[in-house]
Amino acid sequence: MPPDPILEVKGLRVELSTRSGTVPVLDDLSFSIDAGETLAFVGESGCGKSMTALAVMGLVPHPIGRIASGSIRLAGEDLTRVPEKRMRAVRGNDVSMIFQEPMTALNPVYTAGEQIAESLRRHQDMGRRAAWEHAIEMLAAVGIPDPRGRASAYPHQMSGGQRQRVMIAMALACRPKVLIADEPTTALDVTVQAQIFELLKDLRRETGTALILITHDMGVVAEMAERMIVMYAGRKVEDGMVTDVIAEPKHPYTRGLISCVPHLAEVLTEERPDLTEVPGVVPPLTQFGRDMCLFSSRCPLADDKCWEERPPERRFGAGHVAACWHAEEVS
Amino acid sequence: MTPPLLSVKDLTVRFKVRGAAPFREAAYLTAVDGVTFDVARGESLGIVGESGSGKSTTALAIARLITHHSGEVRLDGEDLLALKGGDLRRARRKFQFIFQDPYSSLNPRRRAAEIVTEPLASIGLVPKGDRRKLVDDLFEAVGLRPEQQNLFPHQFSGGQRQRIGIARALAPNPALVICDEAVSALDVAVQAQILNLLRRLQRERGLTYLFISHDLGVVQHMCDRIAVMYMGKIVEFADRLSLFNSPLHPYTCALLSAVPSVDPDRRARTKRILITGEPPSPTSPPPGCRFASRCPVAEPRCKTEPPPLREVREGHRVACHLVGDDARAPV
Repeated sequence: MPPDPILEVKGLRVELSTRSGTVPVLDDLSFSIDAGETLAFVGESGCGKSMTALAVMGLVPHPIGRIASGSIRLAGEDLTRVPEKRMRAVRGNDVSMIFQEPMTALNPVYTAGEQIAESLRRHQDMGRRAAWEHAIEMLAAVGIPDPRGRASAYPHQMSGGQRQRVMIAMALACRPKVLIADEPTTALDVTVQAQIFELLKDLRRETGTALILITHDMGVVAEMAERMIVMYAGRKVEDGMVTDVIAEPKHPYTRGLISCVPHLAEVLTEERPDLTEVPGVVPPLTQFGRDMCLFSSRCPLADDKCWEERPPERRFGAGHVAACWHAEEVS
Repeated sequence: MTPPLLSVKDLTVRFKVRGAAPFREAAYLTAVDGVTFDVARGESLGIVGESGSGKSTTALAIARLITHHSGEVRLDGEDLLALKGGDLRRARRKFQFIFQDPYSSLNPRRRAAEIVTEPLASIGLVPKGDRRKLVDDLFEAVGLRPEQQNLFPHQFSGGQRQRIGIARALAPNPALVICDEAVSALDVAVQAQILNLLRRLQRERGLTYLFISHDLGVVQHMCDRIAVMYMGKIVEFADRLSLFNSPLHPYTCALLSAVPSVDPDRRARTKRILITGEPPSPTSPPPGCRFASRCPVAEPRCKTEPPPLREVREGHRVACHLVGDDARAPV
């Protein structure tokens, strides 16, 4: 029997109250991740990727948002049912997060070392001195040159790449079971992005941390993750091994996301056909939760059924799932 | 041979970072340092580089949106850098700019149609009576509906706003359009729509693009020839196939190898060249090659002698001491 997944989300529904009523920004989302695994979430802005991360972190914006139903089990414990005090002990310790913009996510009035040491003192019961020493070790582990000196530097004295390394050091200081990285390299140059990804791969190998990687870049997914989930309008539309999904997508949205980006092929040729467009945009929040396929308005395969009934998740081969009435016609 | 539409010679842009004081000289940062290139009529020239490489500054200086230090920019034979006042304003109709951020580059208090006709009004190009017809045509050309002319920017999505920005740029019927990260702020699906639109408009109207981007996938799709910049200098310049299939400069090689790819063949064959460290301080650049401190194959002379940009293959120029006459990449 395979080991239990470290994180298991079942039937999660997160609602936001808006001026036009309550809408599900996450609608019946289920997924799981094993220790040491990397799971990527992809989709356009507003599809629920970041909301998934916030739900797992217990940070759904209050009071406009709430977890309406479902469970989030971390090593067996349902995080949707624990009191805030317990959640504070989990957050930053068992589950931690790297944010997109390291400049705004770091506290500008504390040094890098103090910010890392803080989480160690709070969660790991370390003394001031031990925490500081450990923070310096963490800075060394994420490849900051002269870690002892840089520990006393403030965020504004560092480059974007260094700040992101500090964020990673902070997130990994307590050896979390699950690390969520929300577009960790979007603000960085591509050569620095490559350094950060190498670092994340190494750290994951050493610590066995499960990594949830939120990104819009299919190249990053292909390079970093074993499994991927495609989100659209708050729903999971496809889930499977990265190699399977990229080679044979079963949802037209996934196919669109892969083919709409001009990729660097192994050898370029003179030919440059127009990019495949996914016409239109993500539907407004008011349409979320309707009993239909929410992709219908942008889908070349849509017919009456798609507009009238939400497609169930269907299985295609080992662990490959897609929610589309026309999945057979996609690849 | 027909003369190039745009010809940039030894363009240098400096910023004062510290004013002069008694017993202290002013300090300057040279953001663009002796950049030279031509753009032929109807082609797309790409400038790639990481943040701080000077690519946007080059574009802004050409468009006379910031002050240059020295050099020459000829558009259709006319020296743009020498123009003043009314002459400059009249010349502006020949070159237009598409900005990165479709949120901040449109006046929130103006209706879409007014935004599009603003450049015509300030240049006094088209009589008032004819503007309506022109706006109708432009809206159709960029894929907006006629009734959207009376809406304000906040009523549009990001992609639609970028379409308004494109329509505004096309209104004076320019020969040269400078796209500065024109699709970087957009979601991938919308990005494909805008890229296809830009290519169609180029075909239909014979436009010439100066295309600034950090995204190498987008640049290879859009551009015929490409300049790679590093710390204010062009380090490599070649046509699309030559640059992407056989890059020569170690920096270009590292940059290309860092791009994550969905193509499993490319991933398998590309050896990732990780460059370590950070670029040197732009206020006191090293005397030799500016990439020497991070270059995996640098020799002692690279640190002292600046490499000239020279042609090693037809149409392929590179500034590296280690690229011999056999035009083989040193890494």
